[in-house]
Amino acid sequence: MTTIRSTARGRRLGPAFSWFGVVGGAVAWSVHLIAAWAVDELTCGAGRATVAGVPLVAVMWVAVIVPALVTAAALAVSALVWRRESAAARQRADRGYGRTGMLGLVGLGANALFLSIIVAGGAAVLVLPVCQP
Amino acid sequence: MTTTSAQAVPRAVAVARLEEQWREQRSLRSWFATVDHKRIGRRYLVTAGAFFGLAGIDALLLRTQLARAGGDVLSPDQYNQLFTMHGTAMIFLFATPMLFGFGNALVPLMLGARDMAFPRLNAFGYWVFLFAGLIMFSSQFLGVAPNGGWFAYVPLTDLPYSLGRNLDVYTLGLIFLGVSTTAGAINFIVTSIKLRAPGMSLNRAPLFVWAIVATSFMVLFALPALNAANALLFLDRRFGTHFFQPDAGGNTLLWQHLFWIFGHPDVYIIVLPALGIVSAILPAFCRRGVAAYPLVVLATITIAIISFGVWVHHMFATGLPSLSLSFFSAASVLITIPSGIQVFAWVATMLFGRIVVRVPLLFVVGFIVTFVMGGVTGVMFGITAFDMQITDSYFVVAHFHYVLFGGAVFPIIGGLYYWLPVLTGKMASEVLGRWAFGLVFGGFHLTFFPMHLSGLLGMPRRVYTYPTGLGWDPWNLLSTIGSYVLAVGLLLVVLSVVLAVARGPRAAVDPWGGDTLEWAATTPPRPYNFASIPQVFGLHPAWDRRTLSRLETDEVLPGHQALLTSELDARPQRLVSMPEASLRPLLAALALLVVVLGLLWAVYWLAIAGVVATIVVVVGWLWPPQLTRAEAEAA
Repeated sequence: MTTIRSTARGRRLGPAFSWFGVVGGAVAWSVHLIAAWAVDELTCGAGRATVAGVPLVAVMWVAVIVPALVTAAALAVSALVWRRESAAARQRADRGYGRTGMLGLVGLGANALFLSIIVAGGAAVLVLPVCQP
Repeated sequence: MTTTSAQAVPRAVAVARLEEQWREQRSLRSWFATVDHKRIGRRYLVTAGAFFGLAGIDALLLRTQLARAGGDVLSPDQYNQLFTMHGTAMIFLFATPMLFGFGNALVPLMLGARDMAFPRLNAFGYWVFLFAGLIMFSSQFLGVAPNGGWFAYVPLTDLPYSLGRNLDVYTLGLIFLGVSTTAGAINFIVTSIKLRAPGMSLNRAPLFVWAIVATSFMVLFALPALNAANALLFLDRRFGTHFFQPDAGGNTLLWQHLFWIFGHPDVYIIVLPALGIVSAILPAFCRRGVAAYPLVVLATITIAIISFGVWVHHMFATGLPSLSLSFFSAASVLITIPSGIQVFAWVATMLFGRIVVRVPLLFVVGFIVTFVMGGVTGVMFGITAFDMQITDSYFVVAHFHYVLFGGAVFPIIGGLYYWLPVLTGKMASEVLGRWAFGLVFGGFHLTFFPMHLSGLLGMPRRVYTYPTGLGWDPWNLLSTIGSYVLAVGLLLVVLSVVLAVARGPRAAVDPWGGDTLEWAATTPPRPYNFASIPQVFGLHPAWDRRTLSRLETDEVLPGHQALLTSELDARPQRLVSMPEASLRPLLAALALLVVVLGLLWAVYWLAIAGVVATIVVVVGWLWPPQLTRAEAEAA
């Protein structure tokens, strides 16, 4: 992946930062899905409405909001990578996608999609009781 | 690396030497010992095709039974075995192996490589697949085939509700088959990451390769859940454990979770490579590359990931908390976005291209129409309230045949016609192909569209007969007539391939004008694929004069060697020796077969003997070869 900054620290962080822009949303959505589903099903299945004293609905909100924020951050990073690569592509003769530009675009689309899924599924916490069958 | 004209003769000599080094003798031993990815790929295609034929005959018997109310062609037990084997075989023994066959035959060629990364593992995977299929189909002829549906829900499939060996065949057969699928997936991933031709960076990899790699990762993550479920069910049935028995502390929903964590991604494991086939076929018949390449890559990757987050939509009617369902409902609905991106990309490719209508393109168009119709009903299932109304009805049967037959079989047949020159060096008859398309397309829709209606009218799936007067009779009769039309169409496909191989015209080099590297090789390709390793400069190497001219002039890569390249940008790294043909993959698969048969027949000393034999063969397989000093220095 392309480096984000030209400083030594930037060169170290750059690839990791860019990869976060590509896969951050996917990882966050996976954590959201497994955590929200498993906690809800297991807690309700055990006949409880709290997790370690915390109301289940609050846990559900955390399981939605934190991954959504991580995905939004990944979306911002991928947008940054995409913008830089697009600018670089305009300078090139072929104006084609470089490898980093393509992965930036993939990250941009993927993060937007994962954020939409988290928001669409998470909106149910507003309207559905946590243990209603 | 470029040679001058003065070196033309040495190049010819080098190529002749290469021919000698890679040629496999025509002998029985060579037939069993081959590790050539093209031969193995063809075997996958033929074997999976044969299993498709057997499972298709099962389907015809089922449709004959249901042609009229109160049918008595099959007994209830026969019906149970037939619909279970039909589904199980189509999913596990046809679709995935068939697409892996295309991958085997084509991925190394598309990458400009000489073989798969692990040729012997590749051969091993094929033999295991063959033996697993033979076990499962032989059980049908012995009257002990699996009979609990392709998803084998507990408690029906657990003791004491399913006695006999039927479900043991299912659990052990699928675990055995999983060894093959896993080996194949690992091989595809390593091959695609490490053996791409120099210059083929990630943004230049063919879409078919992206699809195969995404599928392979899905296999690696999805299959352990199915293997675990089958292992637990086998333990319950054979050794009296209680994983799925609630009265003893087990959980029946555990099976459904484990099965569908595998099962829904498996839909995409089947469909994604087929979508890759479509993306490979279109450029040749639209005279342009697939529109929005990065977005199609995006769609492929996101489908692969999101498919793991939709499994609970198969369990909407099981009483799970509604909030849990909403997370899966959201993913189930929004996964249509990447699927839609691909469809729009293909339509745009046709819209902006210069279309040449030939048989492969007809099957692609048939695929798009059918798959979109299946996708529309798929969105309907993503809505919890609708799903609850229609679950376990014939509407579901109609939907998944539109997705799986439309999404996989149409591209598979299109791919067969398209790559027949690469696979056999022959061209199929255009006339027969068009007739086949018409009958397959018409027969398919006549078979499966009426099932939407019988399903909406309340006809449940998996019933061996039904009473008259419920409004289901005409739709069932139409479906049965359609199934016979479909069968005739499929027979025409087989006939045209057989005729092409037997006496079809020889194919010219790159007869369709394809854009990927398999068309830059000879038709059919030589055992070493490419004498010189191709250099890739863009997304369409077979349309790139720089690549084509350098293939003719670059230095020949000598010996039984392949070039390793870097993971992201495919920069040359080093040469590696490729393994020679060997009987060990076959012996290892046979030893594993002994383990499976020992467990199936409850002859445990035989199973233990099989384990010992497997270990011995694998140790021999992995034992470092004895090299002479000269060979060691060369290596």
